Amino acid sequence: MTPLVKTNGLQKIYQTGAVTCEALKGVSIDIAGGEFVTVMGHSGSGKSTLLHLIGGLDRPTSGSVEVNGQALHTMSETALARFRRQNIGFVFQFFNLIDNLTVQANVELPALLANGRDRRAIRERSRTLLERLGIAEQTEKHPWELSGGQQQRVAIARALINRPTLLLVDEPTGNLDSTSSQMVLDILSECHERGQAILMVTHDPRAAVRGEHVLFLHDGKIVEAMPGQQARAIAQRLAELG
Amino acid sequence: MRAILQKAKADILSRPLISILIIITVATSSTLLTLALATLMNLSAPYDRAFDQLNGAHVWLHFDREKLVKRDVERIRALPGVVQATDLRYSVPTRVSLRDNQVAVSLRAIPPMPAEVNRLLIEEGRRPGQHQDEVLASTDIDDLFKLSVGETIRVTRADGKEVTLPVIGLAYNPMWDTYRSDQPPYAYVSEETLRELYPDESIWNWSMGLRLADPQSVDQVVKRVESTLHAEIVESYTDWRDVKQAAVFGAQINFIFLGAFGLFAILATVLVIGSSIGSIVLSQYKQIGILKTLGFTGRQILWLYLGEYLALSLIGSPVGLALGVVLSPLPLKSVAVSLNTTFQPPFSLPLVALVLSIVAGVVILATLGAAYRGARINIVRSLTLGAEAPREKPSWGFQLISKLGLPIVLAMGVNDLFAKPFRSLLTGLNLTLGVIGIVFGLTLNQTLSTYRARPALLGLVHDATVSRSEASDKETRHLLERAPDVEAFYSEAIIKGETPQGDSFHIRAVEGDLTAFPFKIQEGRLFQPHSHEAVAGRGLLDWQGLSVGDDLRVTFDERETRLATWRIVGEYPEPTNAGQMMMVSLPTAARWAGEVKPTTYFLKLAEDPNVAALKTYLKRNTGDDLNVVLTKQAIPDDVFYLQIAIFVLASILIGIALINVFNTSLLAMQERIRDIGILKTLGMTPGQVAMMGNASSAVLGLIAATLGIPLGFLMTRNLLARLSQSYGFGDVHVALSTVYVGLLIPLMVLVSIAGSAIPVRRAAKLSIVRVLREE
Repeated sequence: MTPLVKTNGLQKIYQTGAVTCEALKGVSIDIAGGEFVTVMGHSGSGKSTLLHLIGGLDRPTSGSVEVNGQALHTMSETALARFRRQNIGFVFQFFNLIDNLTVQANVELPALLANGRDRRAIRERSRTLLERLGIAEQTEKHPWELSGGQQQRVAIARALINRPTLLLVDEPTGNLDSTSSQMVLDILSECHERGQAILMVTHDPRAAVRGEHVLFLHDGKIVEAMPGQQARAIAQRLAELG
Repeated sequence: MRAILQKAKADILSRPLISILIIITVATSSTLLTLALATLMNLSAPYDRAFDQLNGAHVWLHFDREKLVKRDVERIRALPGVVQATDLRYSVPTRVSLRDNQVAVSLRAIPPMPAEVNRLLIEEGRRPGQHQDEVLASTDIDDLFKLSVGETIRVTRADGKEVTLPVIGLAYNPMWDTYRSDQPPYAYVSEETLRELYPDESIWNWSMGLRLADPQSVDQVVKRVESTLHAEIVESYTDWRDVKQAAVFGAQINFIFLGAFGLFAILATVLVIGSSIGSIVLSQYKQIGILKTLGFTGRQILWLYLGEYLALSLIGSPVGLALGVVLSPLPLKSVAVSLNTTFQPPFSLPLVALVLSIVAGVVILATLGAAYRGARINIVRSLTLGAEAPREKPSWGFQLISKLGLPIVLAMGVNDLFAKPFRSLLTGLNLTLGVIGIVFGLTLNQTLSTYRARPALLGLVHDATVSRSEASDKETRHLLERAPDVEAFYSEAIIKGETPQGDSFHIRAVEGDLTAFPFKIQEGRLFQPHSHEAVAGRGLLDWQGLSVGDDLRVTFDERETRLATWRIVGEYPEPTNAGQMMMVSLPTAARWAGEVKPTTYFLKLAEDPNVAALKTYLKRNTGDDLNVVLTKQAIPDDVFYLQIAIFVLASILIGIALINVFNTSLLAMQERIRDIGILKTLGMTPGQVAMMGNASSAVLGLIAATLGIPLGFLMTRNLLARLSQSYGFGDVHVALSTVYVGLLIPLMVLVSIAGSAIPVRRAAKLSIVRVLREE
């Protein structure tokens, strides 16, 4: 069966003046449809770069990346943008909501960009999502009027509005308190249970163990891959040891 | 202090584009300010300036040469109160042929080198050479007949032979004006040429100019000349005060227009710098929040921004000043010509100091205003919201576009405009100012064109003038009644009038079909023929302290015993003699002044007249005696020069507006860089980003045009009305073509889009990863 995400020898080099930084050194991974994969690693390990390449936000220096059978590294900017809006949902650490749009407008925005004709259906879907995520009361508010947890839930709703095949999540709890973090992770797990494929990068072990598979990234290379269950056991043991 | 300096240096160097834009804005504004101040400087006392620089004569004496011998000149020169004098000057009144016009001129001999007293201001070309048969024409001939250097005029010599002389220059004489003067316009030749043309010296007129110790003592000095030499030795004289009054009167519309431009340009400079810097500081409120978090005090923040912008303005303002000084001759030489004065180069210490201090002052005030607000804002608020919280409700534009089912990117572009009203206000202010500038320039040009097209507004109610010298009045009338394309005419004789107090002025005694002419009576009504009613110019009313309805008693042509009383029934726009004239019915005036024969005839011509046929008809019947001059020819070139000056100055304003569009669009895009990055992440294509940016710019341009056009028109109208009032010119007929307005709206939309094209392109190409990393 063709994997939903397939990267082959992904390499990414950043050049800043005379300084060269190799962020990814030939990463090859496969993610199947409906799978929940987490990527762990310390700061600077290349997690976010990997996420950006798989999301079509950036282009690899070498190697290939395919999502849903489409080779992203060969697409034009416009084709990439269209692909993103149809197939991928993003959730960021800093929420990245548009300040001057209301919660509802933020959530509906990707759908309107993709196909603004059926506005009634879009409104219905955004309402359903906001209710599901417990923020239906906040629809007319602006992002800056919400708590961090609420903002992240709006961001998740926005990421899901186009029913993407892949949800890319970047440190979703990095900016939240523990209660809100728990709530956000529960929502992601629930999405996964509904069949949503998720790739989440994090350096929080409690978040990482939510995945079916955990990949460990170090200095731009996958150094370890283990099932989520095993990772959970390790995390639990570490917690017991204090 | 070190921290402030370090941060200021980093801000300036790390954002080179913004720094360059501030420098360009300050530089262009300084250029405009330099031009505005230089314009006002050139407007200041133009006659006095030209008079001083040309060492003008305070009185010009025209002698009865029967009573003067050449050695009397030395006696006059030695009279008390006379500081300097010209030599005896020779002239011959004659008629010259210029193209197909017969022009009465005074052909005057001038020395080969500029004289010490009453030098000529050579506006174009040069003086006649010593042994060259060539002519230097006065600017007054040019005003009437659009004379160009290189053309020729034909002079009939004393022996009847026609001689062709090339025109080698145009000159202004600070002591010539029609005001209370019987002298026709001057044409200057060398003494050799005058002698060659008219060898009989007995027909030469003699005159000389005197410069006085006390410029106000003209009448006393004339009396002194007469008492020392001969009672009637001075046939007539020209008083410099009369010439000045007439010169100031003649240039008053130019004063009004240029004064309005100067004031507007100063206002624009202040607003452009103020709003640009204000909006830049406003876009940095998040940074202010960070600095405050790091421990910067409000005062340190003020110093930081003040230092940054003052440093940038110190680069921009001298550059702009230098540019203004270099560019200024372009419009200001035209301004000087339009005011009949010398061009005053703007490079002077007071101007330099004024420009630099005004720019620095505006920069300080604008920075302090915006940074003070930033320094006082709550840290958390500035970190999360920047300068202002977005509006809570979607804008009406967003709602409207959404309801219409138009693409969401258009709605978002429009919403961006209204999301932060204060920022949009500042952005819009710059654009609106640009529109106001354009409307200002267009309105001034259109108004000038209106005056050119409708000379009646300036008091010129006729289409053409015919003057006679040898043909009789009866013969002339007979010819005009049958002349082709002449629909109506009236005749005029100029009579000298004098009040019992001894104030003398000219009176237009007119007769004919007056109802066919569009006399513009500003107050009251036109006089009834054959009555003792009169209409007067504003100058005369002011001079004599009269109003419409008052009576004025005058004697005619020095018939002191016959005092006639005239009821002033109206005020009309008198275009000459500083408005100090009166118009009455000729038959009534003749009863008091004796036989009065008109010499000038004002014609109303048919639409699209065949002027050549009219000229041929008159020439066939009277030879060259009846000379036709079209009124359009009589509108001075000043108006044309003024249009050039205003066009150049308005172009600079438009240029500044374009820079501001670019500037503000770039700032707006930079402010939205994070949002654009997010939107691209969510799937917005580069094309959609461009469409969103263009929608914002287009709506901004539309709003700026919608606000700027009426505001610009109202401002121009009020400014002109106020200046006109202060110069006593009366109502100004301000006009703005609806075609211009119709074109200006789409043009401003296009200009706004074009101005933001580069920033929008940058935004469309923005690297999402870079934005996310910066986040």
